[in-house]
Amino acid sequence: MTDRAMEGFAARASHGRVAAVGDVGAMTIVVIIILATMHVVSGFVPDYIMPSPVAVAKAGWKILTNDMLHVMATVGRLLLALLFSMIAGVLIGLVMGVSTTVRPFLRALVVIDTGIPALSWILLAVFWFKDPEVRIFFILTLILLPFYALNTYDGIRALPKDLVDMIESFRPSRWQVVRYLIAPHIVPYILLTTKSVVGYATRMVIFAELVAAAVGVGSRMGLAQSSFHIDEVMAWTFLLVLLNMALQLVVSGCEKVALKWRPEASVR
Amino acid sequence: MNEPPIPSGRTAIAAEPVISLNRVVKSFADFKVVDDLSFNVRRGEIVTLLGRTGAGKTTVLNLVMGTMRPDAGSVRVADHDPFRAFKALRGRMAVSFQTDRLLPWRTAVENAELGLLILGRPRREAREIAVSWLDRVGLSGAANKYVHELSGGMRQRVSLARALAVDPELVLLDESFSQLDHVTSTVLRRDFCALARRFEKTCLLVTHRIDDAIEMADRVIVLGANARIRLETTVPPASELGRLRHDIETALGPEAEQERSQTFG
Repeated sequence: MTDRAMEGFAARASHGRVAAVGDVGAMTIVVIIILATMHVVSGFVPDYIMPSPVAVAKAGWKILTNDMLHVMATVGRLLLALLFSMIAGVLIGLVMGVSTTVRPFLRALVVIDTGIPALSWILLAVFWFKDPEVRIFFILTLILLPFYALNTYDGIRALPKDLVDMIESFRPSRWQVVRYLIAPHIVPYILLTTKSVVGYATRMVIFAELVAAAVGVGSRMGLAQSSFHIDEVMAWTFLLVLLNMALQLVVSGCEKVALKWRPEASVR
Repeated sequence: MNEPPIPSGRTAIAAEPVISLNRVVKSFADFKVVDDLSFNVRRGEIVTLLGRTGAGKTTVLNLVMGTMRPDAGSVRVADHDPFRAFKALRGRMAVSFQTDRLLPWRTAVENAELGLLILGRPRREAREIAVSWLDRVGLSGAANKYVHELSGGMRQRVSLARALAVDPELVLLDESFSQLDHVTSTVLRRDFCALARRFEKTCLLVTHRIDDAIEMADRVIVLGANARIRLETTVPPASELGRLRHDIETALGPEAEQERSQTFG
């Protein structure tokens, strides 16, 4: 690598650190503006419309001290469903990518699934399953799985032909092609999918819990809303935003480790 | 690059053919890319297929690799039909391509050991062999670098190390040096020839560059349109290379001389 290229990497790494500091600064400013707006608005409207930031903070403290079980239940459901959808979706995507016989049938199934609204799955799950855990797992899996399957399939379709020809020149088995070429190639696609769906999955698990479970953040938010505790609804909302940010950070960390081979590209 | 002693090359070659094409025809749609092509490559020989762009050189290489089936005629590689007996040639043939075709998520040494792992060699043994080949191609200090951290010449060396590490009987080179600058290309060509002769590899090199052909090969086959042979000749001693170059340029047609003058300004 040339010195110029090395300088480029160093500059980009430095640029990345500056950007991260800038992101935190911007986030702090936006949060302060939101809190200030809440404070001002809460002075003019009743508490059940807009509680003050102090009331929301108190509700938040109450959640952190008394309701962590619900948070853990939600996070557990979310992670389990994400993990299962990832594994099953990637396997389906792999089969779609390598088997021309099965591909049209699986693709048809996945495309039909993407066309079914989340609400339909939620309502059907309530009818079909008694156990709330099964209901939520079923709903999340059917919503998330197509994303992984389709993106994995797209990743396989995007395999450079040059690399396929190269590995074929060693006359590998199909399993070896998957192991040495396809699997590492689709890692960025899996991580990108996870990054994209983690926020959506958080919203869906809350929605599913609201309708189909008695334990979890969704059910607690429903309870707070029905008893006019808007400060608790707000506190749960802030907590969910923090949870989503934490999950995004975890996925970004995984991305940094798994894709350390990939040079950071920046456009001037 | 470490300097193995360069054997004289262009010596007497055993008569046994490793590659044998007999009246091969290959068409795409209605266009005959290869028309009635026959030639042999004997064990330990380095043969160059030289031709202009579109002459059908890469198609011939694909037929030898076994990734394409001829429409007529026969292709034999080490006594096998490379298309029908695709797996039979496992580990006996390696290819170095025009571009390096390295896997970006693997380091230089991990790329060099890829063929060995596919052939089922134990991981530790594969690593040792890959490291020794990287050393031979002068990349011992870059073994743990990722592809984006290597220069074009270094990547092509890793690609050569990957091809040679599996210890194939036959090495196919598809314009392997044509993407590199003149100096790097010259050094790599010389190093490759030294390694190929030292380890007695049979090589079929496809190129459009006359320099590559006459500097590396024992024998040059010049292909015209539809991969028809226009000239087939052994490479003479250095003192007679001027005449060979002239013959090749004549065989390639008037544009060859023009291309040469454009290349060298």
